[in-house]
Amino acid sequence: MLIDVLLLMLAVTGTGVALSRQPVRQVIALGANGLVLTLLFMALQAPDVAFAQIVVGTAAVPMLFLAVLASMKMDRRPEGRRE
Amino acid sequence: MSPRVRVALFGAAALAVLPALFHVLPHLPRFGDHPSPYGDAVTASAPVARQTQNIVTALNFDYRGFDTLGEEFILLCAVTGVTVLLRGARGEETSARPGQVDGRPVLPPSESVTLISRVLGVMVLVFGLSTSLHATSTPGGGFQGGVVIASGFLLVLLGEGYRGWRGVIRSEFMDGLEAFGAMLFAVCGFAGLCVGMPFMTNVLPLGTAGSVWAGGLMLVINAGVTCAVGGGFAVLFLEFLEETRVDPGAEG
Repeated sequence: MLIDVLLLMLAVTGTGVALSRQPVRQVIALGANGLVLTLLFMALQAPDVAFAQIVVGTAAVPMLFLAVLASMKMDRRPEGRRE
Repeated sequence: MSPRVRVALFGAAALAVLPALFHVLPHLPRFGDHPSPYGDAVTASAPVARQTQNIVTALNFDYRGFDTLGEEFILLCAVTGVTVLLRGARGEETSARPGQVDGRPVLPPSESVTLISRVLGVMVLVFGLSTSLHATSTPGGGFQGGVVIASGFLLVLLGEGYRGWRGVIRSEFMDGLEAFGAMLFAVCGFAGLCVGMPFMTNVLPLGTAGSVWAGGLMLVINAGVTCAVGGGFAVLFLEFLEETRVDPGAEG
């Protein structure tokens, strides 16, 4: 029962990642997907994988994506030439 | 390629694969079924033969330690690649100004965020160390402990700001930590070969299952993996976050 619910949530959050068009929202959706995946690993009695998944899937990967997005959005023109 | 062509292409590919999928699906093993006898054999033997309660650790750092050494060096190569690509002028100075995104102000961390980060940061670091040190007796291990420790470093960034974070997380130290960890793992593997024993022979006293000191050579390898993963992820975060600073040449 618990595993069924988690699998359903995994499908819902995964669809959310695929359907979000804005990169920043997609990163947050990816984090939610990673969190559900962690819960599923816990329910399947795989705490070792769950540990790795919660840090890599909900902290490390979203953070790296956010850093890249922020770097891409930054105004890199020199101060004087800004309109 | 227009969206319509893409959907048509997907439809054709799906139609081609569908019969094969329906042919294979009924023959899949049932959910939760593990037909290979290897898992059962290791689960039965590890607590006695290796005095290890965490079978995953016994597999990763002993029975199939050779594979883990390969994975360790995949991580090392990935982090080295990121460093080669991203280490440059931008953000090298710890006092580098944050980059500006149009219409988004750069705010100092609020006091509540600093407080929560200081409390949680210490707890996360201790939890990471505990996860790593109890590799052979409780769930977790070097990799998990290492990434938890590295994510604790991110809380330092959240609470203390970029300058404070760079003051604590020294790039040279983290580079060294990662390389030292990977080297320790490799030495543990190849030391046996040098004296004529099989690769990664567990020569150290095994202790008793359930104790922190159980596992023999696994504990040394685990310490190496903790250093390598913690240092590696810290370098990764460092290199990516340096990219959010302005170019030193662009200072107006």
